[in-house]
Amino acid sequence: MEPGESMGATVRLVPVQEAYEDLLNRTLSRISCNLGRLIYLASTRDYNTGNYYHEGLASRFSPEVARKALEMAHRQTFYKVSGFSLEDLASELEAYLRSTRENPQEFLRTWQKLEPYRIAIPTEVNLTVARLFTSNLRLALAILRSRQEPGQTHR
Amino acid sequence: MIGTSSALIGAVVLLVVILVWIRADLRSRHLPSVLDQWLPDQGEAAEVCPPEFVSQIFSGQDLRFISRLESPDLKRHFLRERRAVALLWVQQTSAAIRRIMRRHLEASRLSADIEFATEARIFLQYTQLRLICCLLILLIELAGPQRLHGMALYTDRLTQRIGDVLREFASGARLREMDGA
Repeated sequence: MEPGESMGATVRLVPVQEAYEDLLNRTLSRISCNLGRLIYLASTRDYNTGNYYHEGLASRFSPEVARKALEMAHRQTFYKVSGFSLEDLASELEAYLRSTRENPQEFLRTWQKLEPYRIAIPTEVNLTVARLFTSNLRLALAILRSRQEPGQTHR
Repeated sequence: MIGTSSALIGAVVLLVVILVWIRADLRSRHLPSVLDQWLPDQGEAAEVCPPEFVSQIFSGQDLRFISRLESPDLKRHFLRERRAVALLWVQQTSAAIRRIMRRHLEASRLSADIEFATEARIFLQYTQLRLICCLLILLIELAGPQRLHGMALYTDRLTQRIGDVLREFASGARLREMDGA
């Protein structure tokens, strides 16, 4: 192995790791639930270009390093939330709903209609996992609605 | 008389199997999401579904939770959704196997020293996997994914093994080419 190569790789990887830890400690730790973190990370992605941007992180590191750290955090949080059991996901959704302080019925109705959680899927994730994520969220929404308005169908 | 009855029963069974197959195929083509075309790019790294998710899709844990809620509507909704995800996984796996095999055939054509025994073993594993995928599609429709946990994990392991073997084969062939050059 060429010494220069290994040094180059270290120099490239370390700031991204640092930026990632900075993002976890300063920003993501303040968000109470994983679903909230996922929605937040997805919101740092530009809809038109697919690039991530976070002003504070970009000024502390560089826009490129910040972009990579955000992308990494987004993908990891997505896989974490997708791996939740339905019971845990329903609790996460409930926690997220409480954190928004919106009217629960209106929130659940809107989320069922518009399915805004679809924008929380990162690019280049496995198609089956992405499908499991949307499917489980649809089910979690139906579960919460059935708790709010028992005796009605909420698909 | 017995021969005619057996033929009739056989024909009915075959008809049922074909109907279930068509239903499963239609279900997997028209998954109930409206934005599936929008779903993410399929890069090399995203081709294979991580094993923990395969286990989750085919596990009975979520079904037990849903059953505790005692809502027939929710249970129906859950079974429909999970069946669609499981069918998508089978389709993805089947496509991945075909892709791996196609790459292998392309590499074999360029290779000078092909071992018949190795090729036969690879072909047998490939045929076995394709058959299991067909069987999985039928069984998901008939019995639901929750009863197929072991079979799905076996298919996943076998797919990864065949992928690893063929990757090693391809890198070996490249090394031999470089040595020969």
